[in-house]
Amino acid sequence: MEMEFNVNGIKHILEVDPMERLLDVLRNKLKLTGAKEGCGEGECGACTIILDGVAINSCIVLAAQAAGREILTIESLEKDGELDRLQKAFINNGAVQCGYCTPGMLMSCKALLMKNPAPTEEEIKTAIEGNLCRCTGYTKIIKAVKEAVKDI
Amino acid sequence: MNEIVIKSPTTLKELVQILAVADNNTYMLSGGTDFIIKMRREKINNGTIINLKDLKELNYITNTEDYVKIGGITTLTEISCSSIVDKYATALKEATGKVGSTQIRNAATLAGNIANSAPCADTVTALMALSAKVKIINGSGEIYEKKVDDIVLGSEKNSLKRDEVIIEVNIPIDLEARSSFGKIGSRTAVTISKLNMAVTFKYNHEMVINEAMVVIGAIGPKAFNSSTVANSLLNKKINTQFIYLFEETLQKQVDEAILGRASHPYKREAIRGLADDIMKRMFPQIMTGGELS
Ligand SMILES: Cc1cc2nc3c(=O)[nH]c(=O)nc-3n(C[C@H](O)[C@H](O)[C@H](O)COP(=O)(O)OP(=O)(O)OC[C@H]3O[C@@H](n4cnc5c(N)ncnc54)[C@H](O)[C@@H]3O)c2cc1C
Ligand code: FES
Ligand code: FES
Repeated sequence: MEMEFNVNGIKHILEVDPMERLLDVLRNKLKLTGAKEGCGEGECGACTIILDGVAINSCIVLAAQAAGREILTIESLEKDGELDRLQKAFINNGAVQCGYCTPGMLMSCKALLMKNPAPTEEEIKTAIEGNLCRCTGYTKIIKAVKEAVKDI
Repeated sequence: MNEIVIKSPTTLKELVQILAVADNNTYMLSGGTDFIIKMRREKINNGTIINLKDLKELNYITNTEDYVKIGGITTLTEISCSSIVDKYATALKEATGKVGSTQIRNAATLAGNIANSAPCADTVTALMALSAKVKIINGSGEIYEKKVDDIVLGSEKNSLKRDEVIIEVNIPIDLEARSSFGKIGSRTAVTISKLNMAVTFKYNHEMVINEAMVVIGAIGPKAFNSSTVANSLLNKKINTQFIYLFEETLQKQVDEAILGRASHPYKREAIRGLADDIMKRMFPQIMTGGELS
C-alpha cells in the first residue's frame, strides 16, 4: 500500500506493508532510529512518539493508522544544530545514563509541555508513568523537566 | 505473502458497506492497544482489518437531558478530562484515568475496552455500575442498543457478531445518584493482585441509601453486579458503621466467588481497602470521624 506520512514536518510517500507498525516504518524505512523498541507491547515507552499532539507508543499502532496524521519523533527536537531546552536540561541534570529510555522519555515530556507549559510535579509523573527507566530512578528526570519549565 | 487488507472508512455509510461483507477473518481496530499485541502474538496474517479511527464523526462527548453520549473512537484521555463525564458519570472518569499509562489512554477507546472483554477491564466495571448501554451498527445498516453487561461475556470474549461495531456508549443521567471507581494492581500484575470495583449510590437528605449498585471486577471471568452487597446496604445510613458493614458484606461476596483459589486470601483483604478508598473519596467527612448532614 502506498501511503503519505507527515514526519517532523516533512511529507514522505512510502510503500507500506499492512501489518507494519509505525515504529517499523520510522526506524526501517525512514531511518529515524531515535524511537527504540523495548518491550514491543506498550509497557516500556521506549518507542514513544507524538501523534497529532499526543504521546503514543509507536510499537502498538499500525503505520496505516498514522498515515496522513502529524508525526513528531525525537529527531525533531534539535533545531538548526541546537538542542531543545528539554534535551539540555536532561543532560545538565544527569537524567541520561544508558540512554535507552531517553528518546521516549523526552517525547512524553515534550507532549506534556506542548499542552501544559507549566506542569506540576504530579503532572510530570503522570506524563512519564508509561516510560520505564532502569538507571536514573526518575528523580533526575523530574528535576530536568522542572528546570526546562523554569527556563521558559 | 500476507493477505491482510486494511480498510479505513471515513463515514458510517462506508463502514456499513465494508461490514456487509464481513466474515470470520474480519477484525475491528480502534486504538490497537489490545489488538496489535494480539495480532502479533497470534500471528494473524490473513483477512481484513477495519480501522475505525478515521470515523471522525464518532469522536465526541455530549449530553442530553437523559444521557451522556460518547462516540466510539473517543480516547480514554478525552473521556477522563471531560467535565461532562466528571459531572454525570464520575466512576467512568475515575476508571478511564486509571487505565494503563498516558500513552495507552491517548490511543485506547471505551469501545475497545468493552469489546476486548478482559476480566479486569476497568471501564467495563464502571460502565456496568452506571447501567451503560452501547449503540451498535451492523452490516445491514441497522442501529440498535445493547447493555454493556450483555456485550461482555468475559475471559476476553464478547457477544458481538462479526458485522457489528460499537459506535457509541450511552450512560443514563441520574442527578440523584453518585458513583465512584477504585482499583488495585495493574493489568499486567499477576492475577492474584488485580481487583477493581465501582459503586453507584442514591441516598436521601438523611444520608439513608435507597438505591445501590456494586460491581466487582477481576474476581471472575467478567465484572459482576453483586445484588447481595447492594441489598445489604439498602435503608442504611451512611456513617462509620456503614463502612464496616459494606466491607464485611464485600468480603463475604469475595469468599463466595473465589473461595479456595490462590487469590482468595489476598483479595478478601484487598476488597476492604478498595471499599475504604471509594468511601473516602465519596464521603471524606465520615473518614475524618465527623457525621454527615
Ligand atoms: C501497557 C498496557 C496497559 C494497559 N492497562 C490497562 C488497564 O489498566 N486497564 C484496562 O482496563 N485495560 C488496560 N489495557 C488494555 C487496553 O488498553 C484497553 O482494553 C483499551 O481500552 C482497548 O481499546 P483500544 O481502542 O486500544 O482497542 P483495540 O486494541 O483497537 O481493540 C480491542 C478489541 O476490541 C475490538 N474493537 C475495538 N473497537 C471496536 C468497536 N468500535 N466495535 C467492536 N469491536 C471493537 C477489537 O477488534 C479488539 O478485539 C492496557 C493495555 C496495555 C498495552
Ligand atoms: S517498545 Fe513500545 S512501549 Fe515498549
Ligand atoms: S537512562 Fe538507562 S533506562 Fe533510562
